Amino acid sequence: MFFKGNKEAIDLLGNAATIGTHLVCSTFVGMAIGWYLDKWLGTKPWFLLIFLLVGIGAGFKNVFDEVQKIQRKDQGKGPGVNNDD
Amino acid sequence: MAAGLPHPLIFMTELNNALGTHIPIHVWYTWVAMLILFTIGFLVSRKLSLVPGGLQNLVEIIVGGLEDFVVANIGEGGRTVFPFMCTLFVYILVMNLLGLVPGCDAPTANINTNAAMAVCTFLYYNYIGIKQHGAGYIKHFFGPVPALAPLMFIIEIVSHISRPLSLTLRLFGNIRGEEIVLVLLFMLAPVFSTLPMYFLFMLAKVIQAFIFFMLTMIYLKGSLEHAH
Repeated sequence: MFFKGNKEAIDLLGNAATIGTHLVCSTFVGMAIGWYLDKWLGTKPWFLLIFLLVGIGAGFKNVFDEVQKIQRKDQGKGPGVNNDD
Repeated sequence: MAAGLPHPLIFMTELNNALGTHIPIHVWYTWVAMLILFTIGFLVSRKLSLVPGGLQNLVEIIVGGLEDFVVANIGEGGRTVFPFMCTLFVYILVMNLLGLVPGCDAPTANINTNAAMAVCTFLYYNYIGIKQHGAGYIKHFFGPVPALAPLMFIIEIVSHISRPLSLTLRLFGNIRGEEIVLVLLFMLAPVFSTLPMYFLFMLAKVIQAFIFFMLTMIYLKGSLEHAH
């Protein structure tokens, strides 16, 4: 491939680049869902607060998954998918 | 036109003026990218030979290398979804690199182009998941512990919706930032300061296209494999 030499570096760069944006975007998506639910149902602060917390939780879960994936790759046993069944 | 900064010259504004149309610039340049890809595809497919030479060789290296990469990561099941990912990669790569051509602007520096591609990715991996698992696809949203399933369901929904948003914003932010830096440097010291930046950004744009491709692959892998 055209960047065979430093494929691992590019892999790591890709993973590192995704972690930050995932954390932030999940928080904002959670907040937006809460905001519009409040607007729709007229329960001013509650859904916003609940979904903000859910969004932050989702962000942390994303980071957790990413790091787990990097760790698994480091140990050299990335699972493959077989869809022949 | 990067962030309202004065751009020296953009061909397509001239073309808009000449034709009297008001088609946005990023749409024009998306069409240019499509035209380039169609032309390359036509030229390659017109004279296929068993011993590849020139253009066919290049295209085979790109497509073959990406396919090997996908199969190594997803497994054999990845071959069915590979065309979508390869198309995305080549398309984004051409659009990114258009930004480095003098007089052109990268369509990916506009958020609408990226949002369209990210929404396509989102719909496609969910479609693949439903096609692969049927109604059992919903198990992907429930997490490993049954007691926590209702909480995990909401969290997973939020994290799935955040995926297209983060895809959009990452590509948009990087490419737009590069365009702004190029225009600013061009204003400070024309040609002399932009030349080294060209090589740096050429690498960065390839990496951005590759990251978009790789994330699409990771999402498709997640929807293809069985729920934990």
